[in-house]
Amino acid sequence: MPATMILGKEKIIPIIAISLLLVGTSSAIYVNETKIDKETIAINGIEYTVDQIFAIGTIKTITTDDGEKTGIALDELMYKLNINCPDCSSYTIKGSDNYQQTVDWDILKTGILTDYRKVFFPDTAHYLWVKNIVEIEVNNK
Amino acid sequence: MNKTRLILGIFIFGSLWGFSECVIGNFFSDAGLPTAELMVGFFAITFLLLSRIYFHQPGMQIGMGLVAGTLRLFNPMGCHLCSAVAIVAEGAIFELIWYKFSFDFRELKTLTMQASMGVISGYLVFISGYIITQVLTPIIAGTGFFIENLIFIMPNILAGGVVPALIAGFVVPTLLLARKLDLTIKDRIYYPTTIGISALCWLIVVGNWLLA
Repeated sequence: MPATMILGKEKIIPIIAISLLLVGTSSAIYVNETKIDKETIAINGIEYTVDQIFAIGTIKTITTDDGEKTGIALDELMYKLNINCPDCSSYTIKGSDNYQQTVDWDILKTGILTDYRKVFFPDTAHYLWVKNIVEIEVNNK
Repeated sequence: MNKTRLILGIFIFGSLWGFSECVIGNFFSDAGLPTAELMVGFFAITFLLLSRIYFHQPGMQIGMGLVAGTLRLFNPMGCHLCSAVAIVAEGAIFELIWYKFSFDFRELKTLTMQASMGVISGYLVFISGYIITQVLTPIIAGTGFFIENLIFIMPNILAGGVVPALIAGFVVPTLLLARKLDLTIKDRIYYPTTIGISALCWLIVVGNWLLA
């Protein structure tokens, strides 16, 4: 390899490393600053406490590849909250750290919401299991 | 290099990486530690770089990712598919990052260069693995990929790369010191040892999966 190319790398590699650390650090600050700290869950724009949700919904136990999970059945919850056309909507589930995932009715109807504000779905990859939920946004198609 | 020796090298390093993800990763997860960050920053970078130091063969890290990702599918804990996709991607990304570097690492003479390459590798391997798994897992699983979700969680992904970058910033210079050690193993010891260790890794992970 030519010596000039190696010299170029000697300058550019530390600059790239520092730049990546700066991007990561500023992102961490942003994530921390925008973290939502609340005890309620907004469903279709209306705030509910976990106790209220458990009073409205029906408790159901599902089997996942991580064992049995018990919580409120999400399909019945959406019907009881009078969501307009639950089965023709998609649902964006948002966590307090801004992590979010969107699921269609076919997946949502199989899931549960636990009392520690985490959703579980049987037979799905775990990336959909959003924790510390602060909002379930209903997207009408 | 003898092809059998290389294939067994891919298999043992991939198996050790997959084993670490499945067994040590579970311990980290149970202890509430940032598992993905620690696995990439220390274990993935260690096995990927060691294979490059001792085998000097292009394409090896992609093969290791495939072996480790396949083994991860048998782990009864956590997200099998997401992690397997991420691991395969991590091997390929590491290979890409180091593509332009010589196998004797003569460009990395100074500690600054070595630590910088560690930071770059740890950061890019982590965030690339995370992004690729967020795109491919929903597509493979058939649950639907929503680009807006990826955009919203991008700050989390970018922030997550800092810890593996810092760990790899220490790991890479340390491992590059090890390249001065002569660890040449004779064939009559190499073959049974690599086959034995790889088989043990698979037996433990698959056995644990069958018993779970």
